Amino acid sequence: MTETELLLWVRGPALQIATVIFLLGIVVRLAGILMLGRKKNLAEARGSAVAGGLRTILTRFIPDSGTLQRSTFNVVAGYIFHIGLFITILLFAPHILLIEDVFGVSWPALPTPVVDATTVVTIIALLAVLVHRLRHPVMRFLSGFQDYLVWLVTILPLVTGYLAFHRVGIASPPTLIAIHILSVELLMVVFPFTKLMHTFSLFMARYYNGAIAGYKGVNS
Amino acid sequence: MSASLQRGLNAFKEQIDAPVAAFFSSCVRCGLCANACLFHTETGDPKYTPIYKLEPLRRVWRQEYTFWGRLARAVGLSKAVTDEELGDWEELVYDSCTMCGRCSMVCPVGNDIAYMIRKMREGMAAAGHAPAGLVGATKRAVEIGSPMGVKLPALQAQIRHTETEFGLEIPVDKEGAEYMLLLSSMEIMNFPEFIGAVAKIFKQAGVTWTISSEAFEATNSGIQIGVSEIAAELVQRIVTAAEKLKVKSVISPECGHAYMAIRWEGPNLIGKPYSFKVVHILELLDQLRAEGRLKTTGMESQRLTYHDPCQVSRRGGVVEQPRNLLNMVAENFVEMPETGTMNWCCGAGGGVSSNERADEIRLKAFNRKKQQLDAIHPEAIVSACSNCRIHLEDGLEEYGMDIPVISLTETIAEHLAGSEAAGSKE
Amino acid sequence: MSRITNDTGFRKALDALDATRQRLVAARFVENVIALCSDERIARVVAVAGNSEAAESALAEALKTARAATFDCHTRCGSEGDWSEQAGYFVARAATAALTPPGQMPSGPALQAALSCRMAQTSKSIVTGDDTAGQEGEQQYRILSEFLDS
Repeated sequence: MTETELLLWVRGPALQIATVIFLLGIVVRLAGILMLGRKKNLAEARGSAVAGGLRTILTRFIPDSGTLQRSTFNVVAGYIFHIGLFITILLFAPHILLIEDVFGVSWPALPTPVVDATTVVTIIALLAVLVHRLRHPVMRFLSGFQDYLVWLVTILPLVTGYLAFHRVGIASPPTLIAIHILSVELLMVVFPFTKLMHTFSLFMARYYNGAIAGYKGVNS
Repeated sequence: MSASLQRGLNAFKEQIDAPVAAFFSSCVRCGLCANACLFHTETGDPKYTPIYKLEPLRRVWRQEYTFWGRLARAVGLSKAVTDEELGDWEELVYDSCTMCGRCSMVCPVGNDIAYMIRKMREGMAAAGHAPAGLVGATKRAVEIGSPMGVKLPALQAQIRHTETEFGLEIPVDKEGAEYMLLLSSMEIMNFPEFIGAVAKIFKQAGVTWTISSEAFEATNSGIQIGVSEIAAELVQRIVTAAEKLKVKSVISPECGHAYMAIRWEGPNLIGKPYSFKVVHILELLDQLRAEGRLKTTGMESQRLTYHDPCQVSRRGGVVEQPRNLLNMVAENFVEMPETGTMNWCCGAGGGVSSNERADEIRLKAFNRKKQQLDAIHPEAIVSACSNCRIHLEDGLEEYGMDIPVISLTETIAEHLAGSEAAGSKE
Repeated sequence: MSRITNDTGFRKALDALDATRQRLVAARFVENVIALCSDERIARVVAVAGNSEAAESALAEALKTARAATFDCHTRCGSEGDWSEQAGYFVARAATAALTPPGQMPSGPALQAALSCRMAQTSKSIVTGDDTAGQEGEQQYRILSEFLDS
């Protein structure tokens, strides 16, 4: 396959398949959760479940001071790479152009050197996170194949994107781009079947948590 | 597969609802829950990580409700949950977890792990993997009416003693009283002064109340072991008695899980709302305070702190009331570091204290509470749960700490103003 | 001869005693019900409590022992209760109260000890079925009267 054919395939059929699996998978997963439903609460309410649920969606973004003190690495590294992912995916000019192409909406980008530096920081954070996961007794104990797979498919787009952007000489620029897009498609295909679903399901989880507590008058 | 294992797995399946699925879908194995759990922080053993305690339930969820999980099961590639595993998990689910819910407060994706532990216990019990102590307690609760075997004559003796002691009537089976008081067996057996304290306070405040001879037990072993049918039966006894006596409100005493059972789980267990209200004794006392019906005199000068019983405070929503009450009678009240809904568990609730096998881990976990106390050096600890009380005493004894533990209700009673409360100190 | 005949007089008289005297009379209350407790540690700590010459360190040690015994004697939440054993628990609580410094027990260690002793008797009565409400109290009035006269 020539580099052009590869690129065309990657941007064409492969992307279509990946997108279908991605979107369908997410919808099926979320619908599956909702369809399980939950029993109506017959106890007399003290507070508002809805208000509690919505509140917890927001407040869980901020760790309590005890958690920050005891699990500092996880909190800080976690924030760094999540914010890093947000910036590199959504505030990078070429990505915004792509989104504009497909959805017709766009927004201002951050200066490319900033995104570039963010990419490096994010990659370092993810490497640190991997080391931590392998070395910390609790992390190592909890982690399985899926956790390492997800780590891999998350870091690959960052690394391949960085290589593509800087046209690092290991392959021709079009091939580098193709590999980057392929790595994103891999992420998309793996997404609905793994803990990456937390990206969407955490809103439900936090809501339920806050609702259960809010019903009893507790801010969780 | 044995019948009991099948029952357990079926129970797991039945317990999985939308929240459970959302929680398992969202867990990213970040481990933050571990540092919120006193059983982990004081042992450093990763197996006490809260989310790990749910592993069998998670596997059932994955194999029943996810694409790859179902596929793997269909082609014989998945690891089914075995009876042996449930046996291994018994100590994680019952010995090193009180359902205190602190993990549920810190999970960044919002998982309510304690909620899931409660559900998991249904499957564990159905599969025959609940601790012997709890099984015995539950049996006694069903057959005798009390998990500790307290029968009516014993309660009557305690009541007579209290009446003689205080010169107050303890109304039993009084129809039309506004409040029906429940008592935990722990209180009847180990802290019967509670009855007198309540009687004194109600006399002064002009509260009409009664105890039911047919349903006086507050403790709900069904909740602790995880057998909803039994939990429902125990709640129904209370409901029947409350309706028979036509009371407006039922009072849950100083016991943590009793409050959770009757106030929050009860109507859902029996499948219909109550025709009466349920209040924790602290809620009622605070209400009396706000209405000006609770008159106290004098202040405790010793440095006091308050231990939040998890099921009353974090899981129950009664957080401010004890503080309002304490501020009436304490001039030197200090909060623990990490307090209120983020306070640390005493380590003994949810069936842990009735399980001798858990003694060692429970006392190790108490070190967390010890550190909280070391930071503020209180001269006394006030709480509102008899089980917390006795196990705080045990833990303090174990660690050589000389701090008395006192009941909030009894403290209020001791400070009641006026001679209408017979036997009070002026 | 001081005669205590009712509870109000009883409480007032106890309240007027200093720390040492409270401990000594409390020890006598506990001795009156000591047969209800099978934990031999309690007999030992009561002897210490009843010793007017007891050293601070001995008292502190006895208090620790009493507390440990109290916990060991209590009926664990959810375990099968036995009211004879529970009588022993209340005796242990009385012994603990006797040895507790008044600062830690604002309502008075001697009074608390007396109340716990009465509770011990009530526990026993649950087993025997006798109606003994008030009887221990009467005996305590006598004990206090004798103590005040000595």
